[in-house]
This record gives sequence, structure tokens and C-alpha cells, in this order.
Amino acid sequence: MRHFKTLLFHELKLALYSWNTWATAGLFLTLMGTIYWFALLECSRSPQPWTHVEGTFKLFWLPLLCILPLLTMRSFSEERRAGTLSSLLTTPASIAAIVWAKFLSAWITWVIFWLGFIPFTLLVNLRLGSVNEQRLSDPSVLIGALSFIFMSGLLHVAIGILCSCLTRSSALAALLTFITLLGLTAAGGALESLPIESWTWLGWLREPASHLRTFGHLQDFAAGVIDSRPLVLYITGNLLCLGLAVLAVEGQE
Amino acid sequence: MTEPTTQPVAAVVAELLTKRYGSLTAIEDLSFTVAPGEIVGFLGPNGAGKSTTMKILAGTMAGTSGRATIWGESVSLNPAAAKSHLAYMPENNPLPDDLRVEEYLTLRAKLKNVENKDVQARVEKVMIDCDLIRRAKGRLIGHLSKGFRQRVGIADALLAQPKVIILDEPTIGLDPHQILGIRDLIRSLRGQMAVLISSHILHEVEQVCDKVVIINRGRLVAQGKTEDLRRELLPNAVFKLTSNTPLAQLLEICLQIESATKIEIQESLDGGWVRYQIAIPTSSPIRENLAAHLIKAGVALREIAEEHYGLEDIFLAATRRTTNDGLKN
Repeated sequence: MRHFKTLLFHELKLALYSWNTWATAGLFLTLMGTIYWFALLECSRSPQPWTHVEGTFKLFWLPLLCILPLLTMRSFSEERRAGTLSSLLTTPASIAAIVWAKFLSAWITWVIFWLGFIPFTLLVNLRLGSVNEQRLSDPSVLIGALSFIFMSGLLHVAIGILCSCLTRSSALAALLTFITLLGLTAAGGALESLPIESWTWLGWLREPASHLRTFGHLQDFAAGVIDSRPLVLYITGNLLCLGLAVLAVEGQE
Repeated sequence: MTEPTTQPVAAVVAELLTKRYGSLTAIEDLSFTVAPGEIVGFLGPNGAGKSTTMKILAGTMAGTSGRATIWGESVSLNPAAAKSHLAYMPENNPLPDDLRVEEYLTLRAKLKNVENKDVQARVEKVMIDCDLIRRAKGRLIGHLSKGFRQRVGIADALLAQPKVIILDEPTIGLDPHQILGIRDLIRSLRGQMAVLISSHILHEVEQVCDKVVIINRGRLVAQGKTEDLRRELLPNAVFKLTSNTPLAQLLEICLQIESATKIEIQESLDGGWVRYQIAIPTSSPIRENLAAHLIKAGVALREIAEEHYGLEDIFLAATRRTTNDGLKN
């Protein structure tokens, strides 16, 4: 991991100065603001089994599918298209350091995007305070849900980085990321909604399905339940994707 | 990382390098060396395999077989150590458009193991050497002209004072003034760094390089000092002379002076004058005073001059030889 720190600071600086990041951030906050607004509206119209923060995070897949690919698509594909990756590889910096620096930079940006959502809830709390002597927002739900986003982000961002390694076209990288994340999220959601328990012939699927229930993980985290299994899933998934990304870069050069 | 304690005999070694893309062979059994401090021109027609060879030596592409070392370190077995001695400027010199020149060079210096305390000084030094300090220092690379981009690439190559520099077409797209500047810069590296430089401008290579390596169709066709190659590939000295002596008579006179002489008519001029081309072996003793011999034999001469063979002629002779061999095979 030679020169990891230098590369990471460079990537973060590039992200900070890139119009792409700011445009994506604007898009993300607009989307999250809109979702939050509708969740608040729903809760104010009639009692719901969920809080407005929970309601907002139930739709986490929307920014995941629409925003995350925009964040990761250029990381490798753009460098490969411009040829700057080849010249980077002539330095003593290792490929693993390059991949990890790009991943961590994208993950930190993703985390910062989501932290940008907190002021929405603070503003609502500040304006409305409490309703019927109950706090409008329970900070523990917000902290738990954000923890899930950050933890699952390890895998989701790594998928984006891997897809970006596979092509010279940023658009194609974004599309690949979108499809993979859609598959992963939909598979989790679908497996959760299917009555697998009652289908004996699908009994073998019970165990793996229990690991992939993305929405279940969100509920657990938001409820403050820290299960080690999703942690293992996201961390090993992250390591696998980044390992494959290193191999992909090695293979292409 | 292992640092060789003594200077290796060769700064760059390419030994039986081969690169195949499926059934297509880009280079085959290519072997040559570059001594420390030597400037070597790497020549070949388009598609000969120059860039492929340079990429393999720089470690950005794996060869199919063979061995490549940089300053004694194997490029494939110990890439980090090999890269720490090497700077490589690829063809077309890809640079990030969204960084400023100074910013980019600072990043590259850090990545090339320049000590933190020396980074600023090294960046300033190469910007002065490459004439970037006044007009390009704070500019975005994407806004620079082709000439300045090339200078940034060369400045990057010089940053870490590597033992070996590989430059793939460093003067492509530059105007004559810029070419002169880059040529002087490369010349100033003689004795300090081993430089392997590919270029289509043969005159430039001849001016700068101590030695040339010529490849064609992925195979080595000639290597050595320009003078040695001239002797090997162009064994005849060629004279252009204008005379009114008929061909048969001139041939007879010439054969009496030098038995291995070849004559051909180049052009018939007004008033019975003819421009001839006479070839005699380079080693012939009469080469130095051919004009005197001809006048003494009664040949009327209006002009006589020996043709000077440049690297272009050597290059053409070497590549033609292999092309002909290929056709025969």
C-alpha cells in the first residue's frame, strides 16, 4: 500500500474541486429533501407505523441507485480513457493503493452526502420541536439508519469502483453499477417478501436469503440491533470487490 | 525494496523480449542494452513494436516471454524497485487536464519517492529546466498548448532524478524552437541518466544519441553507433559528379582506378553534360582523392561531391534489408 495517503488526499482534493461532485451532491440533497418532505407529509396526514425518518430511509435505494453510480463511474474509467492510469502505474505506487485510495475517497464523499441529510431533520426539529409532547425525531433512529448506510456503503461503493475498472466508458460504468446494485437490493427485497419458509423445495435458500435481506438490515440498524452477520457480509463483499478491482487493473495494463 | 549497491553494467536490459496478441506477434526475441549515462535512439517504422517494447520496459505491459531489467532490477519480478529507478513518458503524454502544473508535479514527486523536504525544490528545479516556471506554473494542464504539455511530461520524467528515462516520441507536435529546447535538455542528461528515446525525427536522434537501436516488424535489425552502422549497412561511398565524358569511357577509367566501382547515369544535362552517380567501397584508398585521379585520367569535371549518409539512409537500409529478407522467406 505504498503512497496510499498521498493518493487518498489527491483523490479527496479532486472530488472537492470537481463540478461532478457538487452537481451530484445537489442532486442527492434535492432527492433526499423531496423524499423527506413527502414522508413528513404522510406522517402529518394520518398516523403511520413508522416515523418520518424511518419512512425516508425506507427509500434509501433511490439515492443508492441514482446517485452512487454518478459518484463512482469516473474513478477508473475516465483515467483509463485519458491514459493517465498508465502513467500513474509507472510510479512506485502499488495498484492496491490506487484502488483503495479511489474507493475510500468515494466512500467518504458518499458518507458526507448522507451527513448532509442531518440538517433537514435538525431544521424540522427546530421548527416543530415536539408534537403531542413527543419528540418528532428520535436521534437513535437516524444514527442507526445512517450507520446502515455507511456500513452497506462499503460494499455498494466497492461495487461502483469495480464496475468503473471494467470499462473505459463512464456511462457504461454507471449503468453496470446501477444494474448490479439494483440486482443486489431487489434480490434482498424480493427474498424478504417471498414466503420461503413455507416452500420446502426452496429450503436451501433460507440461509443465504437471510443474509441478503437488505431492508431487514436497515430495520435492524435503525432499531439499534447490531447483528454481526451483515457486518461480515458488507466487509467481505467490499474486500472481494476491491480485490477483483485490483486484478482487473492489473489485467488490463 | 532492494537498492543495488554497485552500478550495473547495463542500465536497461531487454533480453529476448517477445509480446504476442493471440496469433499476432508485436515483438519477437528483441535484445538490446542501454549503458548507464548513455542516450540511445530507438527507431522503427510505424507498427514496428517500439511503443510495445517501451511499455514492457516501463512495466505497464507484461511481455509474453523474455527478460527486462531496469538498473539491475527485474521489471516483472521486482516492479516497485525497477520503477523507482525509472521515469517513463508514454506516447501522446497523457496528463490530467484538471490539475495545475505545479500541483501535478508535486503529486508526481511524492509518488516517485522524492523526500518530502525536497519536493518543493525539485518541482521548482524541473520547472526551470523545462521552461515552465514563467508561463505555465499555475495554469491548468487542460489549458496548455501541445508544446507545454510535452514539457510537463519531460519535467515529470526528470523529477525524481531517475537512473533511466524512457521517452516515447518526446518531440512529437512541437515547433522547431521547442524541439531545439527539448534536444538541448536531453543532451544535458548525457552521463547523468540512461535515456532511451523513440522518435520519428531521425535527424534529431542523430544529433542527440550515442547509439541507435533499429527494429522492424518486431525484430531487431541493427544496433550500435551511427558510424559503425553506416559502415555495416552502407558499405559504399557515393559521389555525384557532372562530366561530359561518355559513360563507357568513364567506367573504363574508374575501373582502372578502383575495380569495384559502380556507375549509373542520374540525369542528362544541356551541352552534353551528364550527372553520374559513382559508388566505390568506403574502405577504398582512392576515396579521399577521387577527383584528382579522374582529372589526371583526363575526365572533364564540372562538379564532384561525396554524398553524406545520414541516419535516415541507415534507417532505410536497415529496414529495407529486413523487409527484403522477409519477402524472400
